[in-house]
Amino acid sequence: MPNDRASRTHLGMLAFLASDTVIFLLLVVSNVYLRRTEDHGGQTLLDPAHMLIFSVLLWGSSAVLVLAERQRERRDPRGAGALYLVTALLGAAFAVAQGLEWSHLMARGGTVSASLFFATFYTTTGLHGLHVLLGLPMLVGLSVLSFRGLIGRRAPGVAAAALYWHFVDAVWLALYLVFYVWRGP
Amino acid sequence: MNQRVPAVSAAPAAAPALSWWRLFTSTDHKSIGLTYMGVAAVFLVLGGLEALVMRLQLAVPNNHLLVGEAYNRFLTMHGTTMIFFVLLPLLLGFTNYLLPLQIGARDMAFPRLNAFSLWLLVGGGLLLYLSPFTGSPSQGWFSYAPLSETAFTPQRGVDLWSVALIVSGYGTTLTAVNILVTGARLRAQGMLYRRLPMFAWMAWVNGFIILFALPCLTAVLMMLEVDRLLGAGLFTRGDPVLWQHYFWLFGHPEIYLLILPAWGIISEIIPVFSRKPIFGYEFVAWSSVAIAFLSFAVYAHHMFAVGLGWPVDLAFGTTSMLIAIPTGIKVFNWLATMWKGSVRYTLPMLYAAAFIVQFTFGGVSGVTFAVVPIDWQLTDTYYVVAHFHYVLFGGSLFAVLAGLHYYYPKFTGRFLDERLGRWGFWLNVIGFNGVFLVQHLLGLMGMPRRVYTYPALSGWEALNLFSTVSGFVLGVGLLVLLVNLWRSRTHGAVAGPDPWNGWTLEWLSSSPPRRENFVALPPLHSRRPLWDLKHPDDMDHVRPPRHDRQGRPIRDEEREHR
Repeated sequence: MPNDRASRTHLGMLAFLASDTVIFLLLVVSNVYLRRTEDHGGQTLLDPAHMLIFSVLLWGSSAVLVLAERQRERRDPRGAGALYLVTALLGAAFAVAQGLEWSHLMARGGTVSASLFFATFYTTTGLHGLHVLLGLPMLVGLSVLSFRGLIGRRAPGVAAAALYWHFVDAVWLALYLVFYVWRGP
Repeated sequence: MNQRVPAVSAAPAAAPALSWWRLFTSTDHKSIGLTYMGVAAVFLVLGGLEALVMRLQLAVPNNHLLVGEAYNRFLTMHGTTMIFFVLLPLLLGFTNYLLPLQIGARDMAFPRLNAFSLWLLVGGGLLLYLSPFTGSPSQGWFSYAPLSETAFTPQRGVDLWSVALIVSGYGTTLTAVNILVTGARLRAQGMLYRRLPMFAWMAWVNGFIILFALPCLTAVLMMLEVDRLLGAGLFTRGDPVLWQHYFWLFGHPEIYLLILPAWGIISEIIPVFSRKPIFGYEFVAWSSVAIAFLSFAVYAHHMFAVGLGWPVDLAFGTTSMLIAIPTGIKVFNWLATMWKGSVRYTLPMLYAAAFIVQFTFGGVSGVTFAVVPIDWQLTDTYYVVAHFHYVLFGGSLFAVLAGLHYYYPKFTGRFLDERLGRWGFWLNVIGFNGVFLVQHLLGLMGMPRRVYTYPALSGWEALNLFSTVSGFVLGVGLLVLLVNLWRSRTHGAVAGPDPWNGWTLEWLSSSPPRRENFVALPPLHSRRPLWDLKHPDDMDHVRPPRHDRQGRPIRDEEREHR
């Protein structure tokens, strides 16, 4: 079914995410590269263990989203709607945690202009945060639509939105590893 | 020997009249395509006037018309306008208009997203032209850091400039998504990849280039803004060369995304007016794919003078030379298509011929830059200016002009005026070559680019004056063209659906095409469905050889216009 609408929307989202990947890749590379030009002691301000808790919330939201998609395919709009809402709440918790972490870091001197590490850190995680914030209304919208029974079993737009959210979570995995875990070249 | 197309193409011209409201709200790919072109025309006038003012300043040595910072502002606005808001929208306009028609689709894959992309681009252009109110950007379209940092260009216009490019860049990225999905999913039954018309092929490959090149610009502009607004110092305390790496990782593929659809247009025009199918279809198609890959692998040839080190220079010098191969393949295939064809020098074909000459010239001077020592000598001289204007203006824009003359009957149902068209053509060709041919010499004589004045050195004054005068000839030529485009819309001779006796699907629909493009599609068995339709006794997919043993043509198509 090459002209099928579902595959069209899916492909479109894939293409968009491919181009998004390039942006994240370049930003991460700039962090890795610029670490060489300056002492990056700033990284010690980051607390990987603390952030891991909230990262797990975000990654967990992907798992919940998989369940929600399954409920949708089983024609359980109420269950799916509830699970979409849970996904959004987990995402929102992550966004709040990131905001708190940022203010915490800035209070301790880790500002954008403090070091090149932090400059690229805020640029990259900020862009990721923006992706999370854009995803939240999408998920809430899905939940509302689902509760109202407006989403069918095969809903290409919904599948594409889910793809977006999984992408955002996968990007966070890479960012967490580079910024929080890896100690640099 | 010109058989009429059977009844399918005699569909009524049901396109509703052009209205402003429809223009702003339409999601129809044809309306969007034309709006892109209209927007580009407005910016062409702006960018062209900027260029003429700069040329006036350079007409005589030690001139005081446009000095220092003011000159830099014109330079920046001219470059940015021409690349992002003239050539790009023109080519996106063509792609939007033609891609669905050529592959037998009703519309693009995501019509509303398509309209959104258009208005993002228009919004970006408006932001750019708001920047003069906050201090025009003066850092050049390449915006090299640290020159573009707050310390050296503090005016807010630079930030508006960045935002303008991010906004319009997102529009273009979304268009690329649309192009890719349309090409991949909306082809009509029987329209296999190996049967795609050449323009559709190249526009589709172009989608990939856009998809991966533009995010590089978005990323580096975000980094620049973090520097400018938040004082991060990524390109000052960090590494200014990082800007160049990222910028050219976008900037070089950008050149190819401005030329690839233009090549597609040329590859449509030359076969039709030579009455021969394109020579080496597979080579023309696959060389586009090769170029898409190579365009990313050659970016650092803009940076030979930076001091990247010998191994890097060598590697990028080599890949830059390699790109001459697929490009040369295309040029030779066009020539081979014309070879022994019965060539008709209509207006589109004239422009296509001028394109081949000028583009080849620009391509050859491009190869000279792949030679690192020559590049070291000539970088930042007028030789570079001459080279890229030959490629982008003499190549890309001339191909677009060829396409405008070729597709104007499809867009409007009427021909462009022949007499005005010929005046425009010769003024453009003479003007263009007059402006830029002598700039090669100026560059070789050592005149640096990006300077607002120069001393009275023997030879420089005469050539510069010549260049400026030619600039005004070119300006008049483009004006004649615009007048022609506007007038012929209502005064041109009526064209009918297939005025050039074409072979691709767009000529099957009425002129201008109805909302859903086609009433019915013929069976698609070959690369030239309309040939099959017009010559049921001599279809392409059951074709005999083209030449007899003595090399004389034995098929009608090569005798049609003798």
